[in-house]
Amino acid sequence: MSDWNALSDEAFRAQAREYFEREFPAEYKFLARRMRWAECRDWYQKLSRKGWIAPNWPIEHGGMGLSPTKLLIFYEEIEHAGVGRMPDQGLTMVGPTLIHFGNAAQRAEYLPKIIAGEAVWCQGYSEPNAGSDLASLHTEAVLDGDDFVINGSKIWTSMAHDATHIYVLARTDKQARKRQEGISFLLVDMKTPGITLRTIRNIAGHEEFCQVFFDNVRTPQSNLVGELNQGWTIAKGLLGFERLNIGSPRRPLQAMEKLEALATARGLMADPAFVERLTQLKLDLADHNSLYRRFVDQVRRGESLGPDVSMLKVWSMDTYQRLSELVLEAAGEYGVMTGDVDFDGTAIDVLAPFYNARPGTIYGGSNEIQRNILAKYVLQLPS
Amino acid sequence: MNQPDNSHAELLAQSVSAYVQHGADLPRVRALAQTQLEFDPKQWQELADLGWLGILAPESCGGLGLGLAEVAIVAEGLGRALTPEPYTPVAVLAAAILTPLAGATLPMAILNDLVAGLATPVLAAQEQADDFSAQLVATVATPQTGGIQLDGVKSFVVGAAGASGFLVTAHHEQEPLLCWVPGETQGCHVRLIPLADGRTAGEVRLDHALVSEAHILARGARVRELLDCALDYAQVITAAELLGVLKKTQEMSLEYMKTRIQFGKAIGSFQVLQHRAVDLLIQQELAAAVLAEVIQEMSHTPMSVESRAMAASRAKARCADAALMITRAAIQFHGAIGFTEDCDVGLYVKRAMTLAAYLGNSRAHRQRYARLAAVGHQEAA
Repeated sequence: MSDWNALSDEAFRAQAREYFEREFPAEYKFLARRMRWAECRDWYQKLSRKGWIAPNWPIEHGGMGLSPTKLLIFYEEIEHAGVGRMPDQGLTMVGPTLIHFGNAAQRAEYLPKIIAGEAVWCQGYSEPNAGSDLASLHTEAVLDGDDFVINGSKIWTSMAHDATHIYVLARTDKQARKRQEGISFLLVDMKTPGITLRTIRNIAGHEEFCQVFFDNVRTPQSNLVGELNQGWTIAKGLLGFERLNIGSPRRPLQAMEKLEALATARGLMADPAFVERLTQLKLDLADHNSLYRRFVDQVRRGESLGPDVSMLKVWSMDTYQRLSELVLEAAGEYGVMTGDVDFDGTAIDVLAPFYNARPGTIYGGSNEIQRNILAKYVLQLPS
Repeated sequence: MNQPDNSHAELLAQSVSAYVQHGADLPRVRALAQTQLEFDPKQWQELADLGWLGILAPESCGGLGLGLAEVAIVAEGLGRALTPEPYTPVAVLAAAILTPLAGATLPMAILNDLVAGLATPVLAAQEQADDFSAQLVATVATPQTGGIQLDGVKSFVVGAAGASGFLVTAHHEQEPLLCWVPGETQGCHVRLIPLADGRTAGEVRLDHALVSEAHILARGARVRELLDCALDYAQVITAAELLGVLKKTQEMSLEYMKTRIQFGKAIGSFQVLQHRAVDLLIQQELAAAVLAEVIQEMSHTPMSVESRAMAASRAKARCADAALMITRAAIQFHGAIGFTEDCDVGLYVKRAMTLAAYLGNSRAHRQRYARLAAVGHQEAA
């Protein structure tokens, strides 16, 4: 096990750059959509063997334990090389949640499988009538002998069709006084009888998410994370990790890579009006990095994330959208052409960042919901 | 630069917060345009007695020999209190120019007096609008019997109202010079131009101003080095002042939103106002995060001149924009009362404007950042 933090930033960046550029399969570089598991399994496992699959996890659980600065360098190099986005819920959500809230048996059972790429996770949160208002969820789990029996349906479940496991918020006490009480956090194997899927195409035409139906699906009691009826606390903790993940500069960086390549190819760097707008966005991104480091540092010190992490998510996705919109504008009449457009030898899919950025202000709690949270819990404004 | 010392930082933070409690003399700030008392010797002496004028200066000159992190704590407090005295121009910009020169007799003497509150040297380098790095120097130095004669006009000299003398840049033939020109020097004329916040910027006219040869503090490439570094420091510390201004203003807005009742409810309960306040919170936290990171980088990592300038520009641009946004929104949050002279909001709006403009506004700093980034890009390629 190497101590990557002991390397100088430059040496670490050089290693990461060289590795991603050499090893990531060329046919998937700068892919316009998220990678399917069949396309990225080999890459996932290769990274895993190198010890690079979980840059954000502590070393004792098989992660790299990177400092905030190194983590940002790692992400920057991933985006610089055009490495595609894999089904990463296990790495970004389940792992940190089990490390924080799970018991020893759950950590021993699930963490190594995430590291090895033997388990692919998806998130069972939203329901057809519980989106932004997540606490109104209806999926229920009833204890029957040693098992919970789950009935209901989840929707907008990203990459569920590739997942081997799902984590589910389900109602376990219908008599609870408040809606947030009586919810539990359960882990479920997707092969369990009673689970069916319907894939949903997104606005770009990609099958990215699903509706998941639960019809008397049994999962053992040992798959309850935390206490019975205390799932909302864990869900909120996990949402903190989700906001940190969505709030990372990775996605806006991806759009910035494209924008700069496009601007160079189209000769826009000689246009002062364009450079002014590009610089504003560059600084928005650089300053976002500074804020992101502060929260990553907090997690590394073992502190829980507070409601203030929502501001990262808001800023990250707003910046991402503004960047993706400038890509279209910079592309001019090419900005409506589908697929890779050739700009004097540089192939750029100009529509991809636009489509990819749109749901960012909706998923993981819409930006409006995040603003409500910040107004209430950080600014303490009255309701 | 010294290593961070938390005990220093904590003590400073305590004394700064005590000062902010009693030191915010807003009636005086409101009356500045009439009284022209932007430099109050008594107030200045208090800053000296607190040790704040000597934070950057070496111990050999009575200073503390600390760094940007410590001086930023003070500047943020002074921004919060709307202190009109020229803390950044004197205790940061001039002190940072003089400190590397403190091995020589005259700079050491000036620094000693600066730290004690007895001298208030102010840089007079810039001649043209927006040339905040003071590159374009037309001021001429001519050797004469009895010393050096200076001729030229320096503009945008913030802090001139209380200046005991000026650090003047000039050329003798091709060689840049940095000279000390005491305020009482014959031929040194200062005209004060009123600014939005009631303070002034000086135009310093040097008309056959004669100073002794010993007043040449630096010459050649050294002048540029000293100026570049000190200006970067002063930009970062101005960003810290802006952070104090914007935080205090945001607090005032939030307090008002919690207490002002309309339609039978506190206006802070209206979602449209809540979301505006949150967007400003994000700007505030971005500004604080950038400033902290830039100070950390400039204090503890070896940086090229270009990356130091880029870091300073990043801090100045974000803090200036955030302060302008937050102070202007504060007028809107307060409604008509926010537009009155009696309301403190206006004082913060105007201070944010002058600090945002001082040593380059956000647009100018974005342009510098872009220019340096392009140079770095070409060199890397």
